[in-house]
This record gives sequence, C-alpha cells and structure tokens, in this order.
Amino acid sequence: MRNRMQIVAWIYVLPAFILLGAFLVYPVLRTVYWSFFGRNSESYVGLDNYQYLFTQQDVLIVFRNNLLWLVVFTGVTVGLGLILAVLTNLVRYEAVAKAVIFVPMAISFTAAAVIWRFMYVWNPASFEQTGVMNAVITTFGAEPVSWITNTSVNNYALIVAGIWMWTGFALVVISAGLKGISSEILEAARVDGANEFHIFRHILLPMLKPILVVVTVTLVINSLKVFDLVYVMTFGNFDTDVIANRMFKEMFQFGQFGRASAIAVILLVAIVPFMLFNIRRFLAER
Amino acid sequence: MKRGPYPVGPEDDSRGNLQEGAFEDEEVREEKEGSAKYPFGPAPAEEEGTGARLARAVGRGPLHAIIIGISIAWMIPALGLLVSSFRERQAITRTGWWEAFTTPTEFTIQNYQDVLTGQGMGTAFINSVIITVPATILTVMVAALAAYAFAWMPLPGRNWWFLLVVALMVVPIQLTLIPVLRLFADLGLTGTYWGIWLAHAAYGLPLGVFLLRNFFVALPKDLLESAFLEGASHTTAFFRIVLPLSVPSLAALGIFQFLWVWNDLLIALVYLGGTRDVAPMTVVISNLVSSFGTEWHLLTAAAFVSVILPLAIFFALQRYFVQGLLAGAVKG
Amino acid sequence: MARVFYENVYKRWKETVAVKDFTLEIADKEFLVLVGPSGSGKSTALRLLAGLDSISDGKIYIGDRVINDVAPKDRDIAMVFQTYALYPHMSVHDNVGFGLRLRKMPKDQIHEKVVQAAQVLGIEPLLDRKPGQLSGGQRQRVALARAIVREPKVFLLDEPLSNLDAKLRVQTRAEISKLHQRLGTTFIYVTHDQVEAMTMATQIAVMNFGVIQQVGTPQFLYDHPTNIFVAGFIGSPAMNFFEVTVTGDSDQVCLVDDNGLSLPVPAKKRRALEKYRDKKIVFGIRPEDIHDPNFVPPETEVAPFDAVVEVTELMGNEVFLHLLRGETKFLARVDPRTVAKQGTKMELMVGMDNMHAFDFESEQTIFTPEEEEPEIPKDLKRSPATGVAEGAWVTSRGSASTERAEPAPEEEGKVDLDRLVEEEPVEEQVARRQSEVPQGQADED
Repeated sequence: MRNRMQIVAWIYVLPAFILLGAFLVYPVLRTVYWSFFGRNSESYVGLDNYQYLFTQQDVLIVFRNNLLWLVVFTGVTVGLGLILAVLTNLVRYEAVAKAVIFVPMAISFTAAAVIWRFMYVWNPASFEQTGVMNAVITTFGAEPVSWITNTSVNNYALIVAGIWMWTGFALVVISAGLKGISSEILEAARVDGANEFHIFRHILLPMLKPILVVVTVTLVINSLKVFDLVYVMTFGNFDTDVIANRMFKEMFQFGQFGRASAIAVILLVAIVPFMLFNIRRFLAER
Repeated sequence: MKRGPYPVGPEDDSRGNLQEGAFEDEEVREEKEGSAKYPFGPAPAEEEGTGARLARAVGRGPLHAIIIGISIAWMIPALGLLVSSFRERQAITRTGWWEAFTTPTEFTIQNYQDVLTGQGMGTAFINSVIITVPATILTVMVAALAAYAFAWMPLPGRNWWFLLVVALMVVPIQLTLIPVLRLFADLGLTGTYWGIWLAHAAYGLPLGVFLLRNFFVALPKDLLESAFLEGASHTTAFFRIVLPLSVPSLAALGIFQFLWVWNDLLIALVYLGGTRDVAPMTVVISNLVSSFGTEWHLLTAAAFVSVILPLAIFFALQRYFVQGLLAGAVKG
Repeated sequence: MARVFYENVYKRWKETVAVKDFTLEIADKEFLVLVGPSGSGKSTALRLLAGLDSISDGKIYIGDRVINDVAPKDRDIAMVFQTYALYPHMSVHDNVGFGLRLRKMPKDQIHEKVVQAAQVLGIEPLLDRKPGQLSGGQRQRVALARAIVREPKVFLLDEPLSNLDAKLRVQTRAEISKLHQRLGTTFIYVTHDQVEAMTMATQIAVMNFGVIQQVGTPQFLYDHPTNIFVAGFIGSPAMNFFEVTVTGDSDQVCLVDDNGLSLPVPAKKRRALEKYRDKKIVFGIRPEDIHDPNFVPPETEVAPFDAVVEVTELMGNEVFLHLLRGETKFLARVDPRTVAKQGTKMELMVGMDNMHAFDFESEQTIFTPEEEEPEIPKDLKRSPATGVAEGAWVTSRGSASTERAEPAPEEEGKVDLDRLVEEEPVEEQVARRQSEVPQGQADED
C-alpha cells in the first residue's frame, strides 16, 4: 500500500523533476563544467577564462557597475520604500498613491527602457529639449546632459529607471509589515513617553527589520541579475555593462562560450550567499 | 509552522495583509484623518472645529506635498510615453510632449497603424499571446501536481527535494542558457514554440512549487483525512478538494507567471534566435530600439501596445496581481 | 497620586457619539472600575484620559491640571493594554525599562527599578526573555511591571484580564487588588465583566451607550440599582424582571399579574408605590431572593407564589432553578437541600424586603435609597455640575433613548458620587477599613 502510494507520489512529481532537471539542474552543472573549457567547450583550459575575466579592464568595469547597482539601486529603493510606506500610511489616499508607485512593476523592462530612454532624450543646447530630464535641468539654467552616453552619469541614469520600477515592490511589502504592527504597541510606547522619533527609531525600525532584510535580499539578487534594462537602453555600451549582459555578449557577439559560462558562474557565486539566506529562512520557518 | 516575515508563503501573516489590502486597508482607513501629532498611530477621525482642521491641514502640508509630488513624478515617465504615442513624428522631435496639449491637432493614431502593421507589432502581439498562455497553464499544472505531492504524499526525502526547489528559485537563468541552447539545437527545438513553452514552464516551476506547496500544507488536515476515510484517492482529493480550495493562490501564481513570460526578453531572445515570425513584442521592441533608436513615434506606440495587457490585469485583478508579483519578486 | 476629574466630556466620531456628557470624579487612591457592555464607551473614556484619542468637548483634569492638550507621555499615567502591547523585539528587562530609558534615567538606576518592579510581580527570572517566550499570564505581569516601574499618578487598565484563562483570571484579580493597596495610587480599570467590577472596585461606574448609568460602591450598586439596565447588569445570575400591576390601598399593596400572581408589598416600600396604583411597573427580584419555603432565612418577609420547574442545576453549595410562570422565564438560586422535580409546579417564597421596582416607561427605579436607608441625608440631590447624566439613560430592552424629554420620576433617586464617597453607609465604611490593609502588611509576600 505504502509502496503504491510512493509510486503515485513519484508520478505526481515526475513532470516537475524532468523539467527542473533538464532546464535547471543539468544546465547549471554543465555550465560550471564548461567554464573550464575553451570557446567551443572542446579543450580544457583550467582557470584561463576566470583569469581573463578578472584581468580584462572592461570586464572589471562590468563588476564595478554591478556593485554600483547593488549599493545604489538597493539602498535607494529600500530607503524610498520605507519612507513612502511610513508616509502613505498617514493619508487617506494611501491606496491610490501606492497603486501609482506600484504600477511600473507590471510592465516589462523592455517597455521601461523605452520609457526612460525617452525621458533622457538629449538635443544640442541650441534646440528645444524634448526629454523631460533635460527640459527640467535646462529650465534651471544647466546645460543639457547626454544621460545615456555621458559615462559619469549614465550608470545612475539606468539605476533610476530600475528604482522607478522596483520602489513599488519595496513600498507594498514594507507597508504590509507596518500594518502588521499593532496600534496598541505604538500607544503603549506613547504612554511610556516616546515621541514620534523614538517610536520610529525604537519600535518601528526594529520591528520592521525582518521584513527590511527580506526586501533588501530580494533587491540585491535582482541588482546582480539586471539585464533587460541595460540591454535595451545601452546594450552595455558607454561603460554601463553588467554581468548578465556581458555574458550575452560573450555568447552571441564574441562566440566565447567558455568565458560566457565563467561569467555565469561568477554571477552564481555572487548570488549563493543570498540563496543560502533564503534556505536558512525557509528552514527557520518550519 | 513558525511564521516569519517572509512575503512569499501563502500562510504567512504579512502575506495575509497583502492579500486583504495591498492597497486598501479598511481598518486603518477610519484612523486616517489622523493628526500630525501621531504619525504612526491610530489618529482618530472626528468632528472638530474649522480652526483645528485648518491648523492640522497646514501641519500636514509637507506630508501631502511629498506624497503627491512623488506620485506625480512616478506617473510622468509613463504619461510621456502615452502622450507621445499619439503625436505626429515631427511634433515629437520638435517640442516636448508636455506641450502637446496646446496644439491638439498634432494628435494622430497613425503611429499605432505603423507599428502594428509596418513594424510587425501586430504579429508580435499574437506571438506573445501564443507563447504566454500555454507556458502559464503548463507551469501552474505541473507545479500544482508536484506541490501536492510535496505537501500530502509519502514521497521519500521530500523535504530535501523541496529544499532543492527553494535553492533553484534564485539560480540565475544565465547559467542555463548555453547547455539548453545546445540541447535545443540537438532536438531541433530552437526557434519553436515548444522549446520556449517548456523553458518558461521549467523556469517558473521552483517558485510555483514553493508557493503552492506552502498553500497546500496550510489546508486543514482534517479535511483531507476525512476525504481519505470516505474512500477518496489522492487523485480525487487533489482535483475535488485541494484545487478548488486553492483558486486564489493558483490565480496569483498564474498571474505572476503570465506577466513574467509576457515581459520576458532574455529567454525569447536566446531560444527563439533571430526568428522574426515567432518573436514576442519584447524582442520586436528591442530590435526597434537598436534600429530606430530615435523614431519616438514608433517606439512609444510599440511600447504602449506591449503594456496594455499587463495594465489591464493590474486594474482588473489588483489583489491577485499584487499577491502574485510580490510572491514572484524573489524569483530570478 | 492624584484625583481625576472628567467634566462634561464628549467624544464624537464621525456620526456616532462614543462618550456623552461624561462627568465623573475619581478621588485619589480610588480603584474605579468602568464597566459596561461592549460598545458602551468605557474604553474610549479611558483612552481619552490616556490621550490616545482626542477629546471632542469638555475637560479632563489630573490633579488640578487640565490635560486635554497634554501629550500622553507628559500626563504621568501608565496603561496596561488588553493585548499587553509588549515590544516583541525587546527583552522583558528592556520592555519594563523602556519608559525610564526615554526619560534619560541613568542605566544602573533603570536596572535597579526594573528589578524592583520585577520582584513585586514575581517575574525576576524572566527578565532576559523576549515576550514571545512567555505565557499569557507572564506577559500580563510584564505589562503590569512596565506600568508600575514609572510610578505614575494614575494607572489605567484596559480589560487586562480578558486574555487569561478563567483560573488565572481569578488569581490575577486578587493580585491587582493587592497591587492597588500596596501602591496607594489611583487605578482606573475598564472591563465588561461585572464580576471583576464587583470584586476589585472601590467605586464602579456603569456605562451604556456612552453614558454613565450609575456610580457607586459595588454594594450600593447591587442594592440600589438606579434603573433596569444597571439592575440587570450588576449581579450574577442577573435579576429577574416581571411586568406587574400595583393594586390595593394604603394598608395593603399588592403586585399582581394576569397569571394569578399576587405579592403583598412590605410596609416600608408601600409609600413609594402609591402613585403607581393601578399602573404597570416592572418588578425586579434577584435569584437569591427567591427561596424554597422550607429554607427561608430568618427574619425575611416573604410572599408565596408558584412556578413550573423547567431545569434544575445542582451547583453543590446551591441549586439553580430555571422556572416558568406563564411565558416569563426566570431563575432562582435556592438552598442546596431543596428538592425540586423537573416539569412539576413548585411553591416558592419571594423575599419582598429585597424587591426592586421600576417605572414601566422610564425604567427608572421607584424606590430611593434614602427612603430605605435613613442614614443618608434626605437632601441628596445631584448638583448640576457633578450629576450623573441627567435623565439620560438607556433601557435594558435596548431602545437607546439616551435623551429623554421629561425628567425621570424619581430624580432624587440618583446617586451623587461625591456624597457617597464622603457619606457612604456605615457598614460599608467598616468593610472598607477592613479591606484597607496597611502597606507594611501587604509587603510580606
């Protein structure tokens, strides 16, 4: 009886296991293996691919850009999400404000890239500025900036597009956490003598900490994997390249399958700590 | 099961909140009128003199300014897209879209005709539907079967298997591209719908299994046990009891997977290759960007066509939508 | 340590009035219990005092200070919440010490006070734990410790026992009473449970529909409920009510109904009933004043009547009889030796000395305390300023006639809190003194 049940159980999970095995488990192992092979995966090259990547100037810029994404994108998105969660909690049109900020989550990065390329349109100073960003700064007397190609700002310009898309996520999750804090606790703190700053600092922040950690980890993982925005907005040109896009280039532009695999492995290694965090959290919840 | 602040599991507390009112929370609504004195607490709605109300409104001025300011800033990019998509080519290159309202004669729907027929967005829209719908159904079906086994069946080592699924949730799909591509080449699946359906189903599975298993586990044990006592088989229990009770989470997963596939660029780009006649809208738009980077009348119209369906879902099914998106946000 | 005074306080939400013309003086060191059914405004009244809701109209004083516009943190109050509202991320020690920390007290001093408070409540071994690791009873003690550590002028307790199981509730009730005696501070306690009110309070204020119905000592409220609502709310099991007609002349007054009931009224109660002759009134009698004819307590003036026994409940020390007369169901609480057969008619005796009578229309009591208790001065009239919700009260049938046009027939029957505090009946004063254990003695545990 039990054996028969087990067979039925295996039948239930079989389709999932076949798909996961064929499209995730096997390919990941294969990619790790091939990262030690040459461009066509035929000759073993040891760590050559990795050595190449960590010494190549433009690849180092790729890593720097991802770090920039990780810090700036994650930091600003979480911070803005927290502030907006606290503030929108105080007004009656909370639902509307949250919906407006959340909506970009629904659309594709591709569409968002078009939207933001359009925001960043640059015309020579003698012409009228048709991009919102340049129209705004020229109103204040500044010279128009070529947001996409100017290497001192373009990474941040891309990151802003990312923030525009993801703040809604941070806002909605943190806001839900905020609503989970019972009003009696805040009242108790108030009776205990806390002012609003004390309440934020000593009650809300510590109580929101677990949820802030979850949001941060999610955003960090996404910052490491960022691809579509960069692919459509700059294709990684003008020093804006990121790991995922560089891998795509190595694969389809340069035909370097060994190096492409090695980059993918580097991405995996960067994400593993957060994967472990997810697993630990999952185990703790059981 | 101990509850954590994890926004993913359906049985999670914070999740419950999201579900009930991601954007609306009846309980706090009454407390909203609240004074600036108590930003974090129940600030009572009440009758009061005009003087007090005025003083309060002034005190809350900066608060409203910040929230409304940011909300408007958030709408501007999308508004620019929408307005420009209806403007004539020359008008877009000549003046900013915000000036369009002064000369309404410039409005046209020519851009949409151009992208839908001339630039192949019409075919691409249909391709997107053909890719997305089966990929979504396949994911939900396979995930539900596996999730049920993980939750209720005597699968040896099921906790370890499940842990593997949790780990796979955040694996970057970049790691799978090259081997899968070679596999597809061997099997002749490159550039076919079958290839991309299976790929999307597989990539959506870890999250799907995770979500549904957590939901299934939370179903009352008595319910299933009484069904078994009455002679129900696992198949009966799955189709007659578990699935009907799980419609909300199936919907959430379905919506997330639908949007994920609909909005995907990378997988379509890699596995469909350059095959134009099966390319979804995201691929077509990115091609448009690289070939007509400044033809904004085409780009804005094309981009808008691609966001219509997600926006419609957002406004029609807000609750499931938010739930699904939040659940899937951890996915790669 | 301070007196608390609510002066004509109103709390209006958008369309509803949660607290209406609320006037109440709570003397220093009093243990006042605000009791009423849910939605009666008792919690709101407390939250107004705490500063958690704003006052729509009127004034609240703590000591001599009007605190309407004072922030909660500056009111020198402490509050125990129904859910305890412990800070989940802080240890018990930090929970208790949080208020002191906010007041910038030096760390070692905080520690000393926290340990002291923990000793009082017997939670010293728990100081390093987080609230999540505590049982309900332990959390409750932590909440109490957090309140006492700051030595506030006034303690507010909002249904603090409602999340405890029955046994723990009884135990904690006694401990809170002890804490009150020991601290010698004003306590204001909100509950929907009249047993808590009766057992702990030195003064009870009964509320319904946002209005104070009656204020007084537990015994006084039990003996002299001012209207049907209070009569039915205070005392358990609740008072029985019958619709009867007053008949007879000045020598012989009887209460009769259509089912052949005829109860002679004792001499000292007749005068008040005179003007109700041939009119309908509501007759009230507590279950403990209905007796088995074989076990009537001595010196009780009784009247016989009969009823059908529907159910008997043996409690060991007493028997509850569920009785039926006509269509009126009622309850008697009789001697345990009583033999009653279910489904049969039974002869019973009503202790008419303890009868209550209420105006049929206004549901206000017909008897006034001073008519029966000569030691209370005759001129006991409410002053307009401190009066308990003038003629505004609510029927037990739930018709919310909070605003009655004509004054209640027996205006002087209402109770003046001030006077009662000063001039409570002698027996009660004695009882009170007995219960006031000197501080030193209470310390010994």
